[in-house]
Amino acid sequence: MRDEAESVVGDPSAGAHEGERQRFILEDTGFDEVPKKYRRFYRKWKGAGDRLGPNEVICPVCKVVIRSSRTLRPGDRVYCMPCMSRLVVVLNDATGMLEAHVAY
Amino acid sequence: MPAGSPDIHDLEPQAFLEEVHSFEFWFQAVEGYLSGTTWGHRPDVSEQPLPDDERERLITVFCNYCVGETAALEGASGLIAIAPNHLAKVFLSTQVADEGRHLEVFYRRMRDLRVVDPELEVERRASRSLQLFRRRLLELVAGRDWEAAIFAQNVILESLEFAVFHDHARTADPVTGDVLRRVIKDERRHIGFGENELGRRLANAPHIRARIGQIKKELDRLVLDALEETARHLALARSDQDRLGRAYLESVERLGFGP
Repeated sequence: MRDEAESVVGDPSAGAHEGERQRFILEDTGFDEVPKKYRRFYRKWKGAGDRLGPNEVICPVCKVVIRSSRTLRPGDRVYCMPCMSRLVVVLNDATGMLEAHVAY
Repeated sequence: MPAGSPDIHDLEPQAFLEEVHSFEFWFQAVEGYLSGTTWGHRPDVSEQPLPDDERERLITVFCNYCVGETAALEGASGLIAIAPNHLAKVFLSTQVADEGRHLEVFYRRMRDLRVVDPELEVERRASRSLQLFRRRLLELVAGRDWEAAIFAQNVILESLEFAVFHDHARTADPVTGDVLRRVIKDERRHIGFGENELGRRLANAPHIRARIGQIKKELDRLVLDALEETARHLALARSDQDRLGRAYLESVERLGFGP
C-alpha cells in the first residue's frame, strides 16, 4: 500500500474524504480458504447483483474478492492469499472501475 | 491477525511469498474447509439417486477427473526434485497432498456410484487425449524442464480442472457438488502457483517464451479435445462449452500466450 494521509472513519457508510483514505473495519464473512487470521481480507463474489466496495477488487486469477482496510487507489499493491498472487490496482479507463492486475 | 492489526496488503513481497508457500499456511487453510468432512464432503449431505444414464455419464466424467488428478499427483511429486528453491519444493509437497486427496475422494465417489473397480473403469473409459496429456507432462518432468512442466501442469491442466469443476459443481448432485467445491478451493492455490511462478520466470528470462509457446501449441489440442469430451458427458450446451474454453484460456493469455 502507498503511504498517504488517511482518515479513520470506521463506518463504511460514512463516505470517503477527498484526498484522504477511508478506513474500513473488516469482518469475517465466512471465507474459509485461508488461515483464520487472514479471512476478513477476502470474500466470495456473489455473482450478478453483487457490488464491489471502494476497498475491494476481484482477483483476476481465482475470482475471489480481495478486501483492504483502506479505500483502494490505482498503484496500490494487494495480495490474493487464496491463489498466492501479488496484484497491482489499476483504473480501467473504459469502465471507470478499479481492477487488479497480476504483478509477477 | 486480529481486527485492528496491520493490513495484510502491507506485507513485504518476500514475506508474503514465504507465508503462502508454507506448509503452516496450507495446514491452517485446508483445516477451514476440510475439517469435519468424510471422503471430501460434509457427512450430512444426502445422496440423491440418479437415473441410470445420468449415473453412467457421471462415472465417465469421474474417470476423466481421475486421469487429470493422477497426472497432477505424479507431476507435482516429480517436480519437487527439480524445483529451483525451497519455497517451491515445500509448496509442491502441499500440492502432492492435495492431489492425493482429490484422487482418493474421486475414486470413493465412483464406489458410491456402484463402480466395483474404479481403476479398471478409468482404464476403460478415460479420454485418450487426457491420457496423452498425462504422458507428455511426465516426459517434461522426466526431462527436468521446470518451466515447461509447470506450464503444462499448473497452468494448463489446473486451469482446465478449475473451470470444469466450477461449472460441474453448479449442476451436480449434492454429494458430487460438495466434493467438487472443496477441491476447487485447493485448485485456487495450484493455478496461482503456476501462473505466478511462470510469470516471474518469463519476466527474468524472456528467451524461454518461444519454447513455452511451442508446448502450448502442442498441448492445446489435447486439452480442448478433453474439454469437449467431458462437456459432452456433462451434457453442456455449446455456449457453456465455449465459455469453459475461454475460462481455460484466460490464464495463458495473461502470461502473454494468445490463442
